[in-house]
Amino acid sequence: MKRVAYYTGCLAALSAKELNTSTKALAPKVGLELIELEAVTCCGAGDIHEAEPDYYLHLNARILAYAEATGCETLMTICNVCTLNLRQANWQLKNDPNLLARVSANLEAVGAPPYTGGVEVKHLLWLIAEGDGYEQLKSAAHKGLKGLKVAPFYGCQILRPSKILGFEDPDRPWSLEAIIEACGGEAIDYPAKIKCCGFPIIQAREEVALGELIQPIEQATEAGADAMVTPCPLCHLSLDAWQLKLREATGRDFAMPILHLSQLIGVAAGLDESELQFKRHVVPVQPVVDQLEV
Amino acid sequence: MIVALKIWRFDPESGERALREYEVDAPEWACLLDVLDLIKDKHDGTLAYRKSCRMMICGSCGMRMDGRAVLACKERMKPIVDSGHVPVISAMGNMPVVKDLVVDMEPFWGKIRAVKPWLDPGYDEVAEKERIVSQQQMNVIHKEALCIMCGCCVSECNSMESDPEFLGPAALAKGFRFVGDARDHDDVGRLNALNEEHGIWDCTRCYFCNERCPKGVDPRDAIAKLGAESIKQGIDHDWGAKHAKWFVRSAETTGWLRETELVPKTQGIVSAIKESGFALKLLRRGKVPSPFPPHVADKVKEARALRELVKEQGRDGALGIVQGEHALGQIEFMEEAGARENAPEIQPGVEPPPAEG
Repeated sequence: MKRVAYYTGCLAALSAKELNTSTKALAPKVGLELIELEAVTCCGAGDIHEAEPDYYLHLNARILAYAEATGCETLMTICNVCTLNLRQANWQLKNDPNLLARVSANLEAVGAPPYTGGVEVKHLLWLIAEGDGYEQLKSAAHKGLKGLKVAPFYGCQILRPSKILGFEDPDRPWSLEAIIEACGGEAIDYPAKIKCCGFPIIQAREEVALGELIQPIEQATEAGADAMVTPCPLCHLSLDAWQLKLREATGRDFAMPILHLSQLIGVAAGLDESELQFKRHVVPVQPVVDQLEV
Repeated sequence: MIVALKIWRFDPESGERALREYEVDAPEWACLLDVLDLIKDKHDGTLAYRKSCRMMICGSCGMRMDGRAVLACKERMKPIVDSGHVPVISAMGNMPVVKDLVVDMEPFWGKIRAVKPWLDPGYDEVAEKERIVSQQQMNVIHKEALCIMCGCCVSECNSMESDPEFLGPAALAKGFRFVGDARDHDDVGRLNALNEEHGIWDCTRCYFCNERCPKGVDPRDAIAKLGAESIKQGIDHDWGAKHAKWFVRSAETTGWLRETELVPKTQGIVSAIKESGFALKLLRRGKVPSPFPPHVADKVKEARALRELVKEQGRDGALGIVQGEHALGQIEFMEEAGARENAPEIQPGVEPPPAEG
């Protein structure tokens, strides 16, 4: 078992509880022991970075400090936006001793642990797309996806900017495809898989956001996908819940089931409904469940 | 070496669009632009593309290679030839194609003009003595000043695909280049203009601009700097600004996002009521978590105290982002600029003291 500090982020504890339950149930099957962080906060989701950037840096440093205090080398994330925010802060702190000294002193001044730069932030996707995690995944996913046609949707902030994310080629990523195929599914290719779902502006600029959201939904539908999978709960909320608004706005009957990464693997690994919680989805996942005879 | 390319041709007279394949013998040091020159000289004189300096400073030769916006003069062909790949070359996106690889940049220039791309120092009389800005003050806009206006960032902007009127990454980076300039007197006027409908809060944070920029400008970061400066100046009427501020409020009160309150706090009560039908549908699926009891992080007092402490230290606004750029290795300047280090601070609108010596 690899011990990793586990950062749920906001949504997995709120509107996307199914992401948290499925991740926790899946982790031991792919060789991960999750050490949950209790005293941490929101990463700011890019919003605090834009509103009060110095506060953003400190909030993320505090999360990194609590992760470091567990003795784990890896802080595992399950959200693209958390991944970028934490990695960006970590990069700045690790590569600027003066900045790290100031921020760490501030953390101690408010009673938090200091941060020395000893943690790497990695998304669940990266931990299971290669190496030991991938080997364990292949044996865990024994129930298989029976050739289910799955359209991978990466979203933005797990790929770009690549100088901060850097796990794979941001224009030709492969990790979700590798996982879909290891689970016995068929990965569907389509151009918008690396584009934006529109979520960051879905409340402030809904029309612009829907113009972005329609691309992956429409392309995956036309490519014959049975379902889409995403490593990000914000993309999930956009693709799943706002699909209703897309239907209203376009008059088209989109009905694309959207799975969290942990749910897709979870199905193949035989997790049950209490862990997968498909009932919490807005677009019914039943067609997928029926097809797989879960 | 033999270089093979496929090029999307477009003939405006016939309206015909076709993918043509070319093969030329090129030297090993050739970049994409050299190869296009060889094709035009030796195979097909009708091929249209823009070029000028050939050394990554004029910004003329933006185009797409395998769907990625690049400068043709920056892309070496040897590794591609060695891999056996035949790249597809096409015109940039988000701009109308005039012919082959040439796009109409007029909408691009229109947006650059819209951000008032010149210095407004707030005084008319030009003094005889040189006005010196300190190195630290220039560092604030160092990255944005590197922009060569090639259009690569705009080519792949996801928000602009959806809203063609969005000012977009190049114009907004230019906007920050003046908002962040210590000599400029019109920060508030500029920020108010950039906070309008198709301005900074249209950005969907897809980060294609940072990924594509061949000069390290990182336009998305410039947009975040504009957001931070706007909120610092109290220009926070846009729903985008209210959305961002609610995350700060959430972090210092419960630690976690107060998700259910985000819609009314962003859009106001009236709009939130209009959205109640949609909210009900989500509620049935557990997608509207109850704000009571609130989901509160352990030791949230630390997060609150941290905000107070950070505010006292005064690195708010764009400075909070600029301070991280040192580490990001994007800035080639260093403190060795010696003499200018001690230059007097410049206050916008106040004529600076004359330089000594």
